[in-house]
Amino acid sequence: MLRSSLVRFARVGATRAPLKAPLTVSAKVPLSFPLKVPILYSYHRMYSSAPALTREIITERILELLEDYDNIKLPEKISVNANFKKDLGLDSLDQVEIIMEIENEFSIIIPDDKADEINTVKDAIDLIEAQPDAV
Amino acid sequence: MARLSGLQKEVIALYRECIRSAYKKPKENRNHWVNYVHSEFAKYRKLPKKEFATVEHLLRVGHRRFEMYSSDTIRDVH
Repeated sequence: MLRSSLVRFARVGATRAPLKAPLTVSAKVPLSFPLKVPILYSYHRMYSSAPALTREIITERILELLEDYDNIKLPEKISVNANFKKDLGLDSLDQVEIIMEIENEFSIIIPDDKADEINTVKDAIDLIEAQPDAV
Repeated sequence: MARLSGLQKEVIALYRECIRSAYKKPKENRNHWVNYVHSEFAKYRKLPKKEFATVEHLLRVGHRRFEMYSSDTIRDVH
């Protein structure tokens, strides 16, 4: 153990030692040409991954989806706290359809018993937020 | 949804199945299917929920028709 670490240190010292000499020299002699530094990292953006699904994005997408749904009698009442039945004037069948649209939008499947519990826009956002598979 | 009876839940389950299977049909005919499901359910939208016998009959008919139409060989509806 001790021996191997000693050997490693010796090796590090050996590789460092020859480096030191030219560096001190170049510090004295001014460089007349720009130092070429090899580019190790290229800073370009990867578009292969989708942005993380935040609450704001979920809210925005659900509200947009509701605005496109044409059975809503009171489109100006669409908000986060809106109740599908009381505020938006939807019946239980429309509600099923909205939930189906949300399923397609986020490519998940909501089981029937959970779908029955969604009464407000906020419920839907909470449910999507709790789903790790939603995209 | 506020306290639905068992029968109402069955209707909603059938509706959900119908809409779901509409999304399995070819894309260009999807609207036909969704409209068809809408119109079929809308026919009895005003049916009082106390008419159990009628609702049960319609559910049976609906299930049989759903099974028939959900076959892959049926691609479009008018």
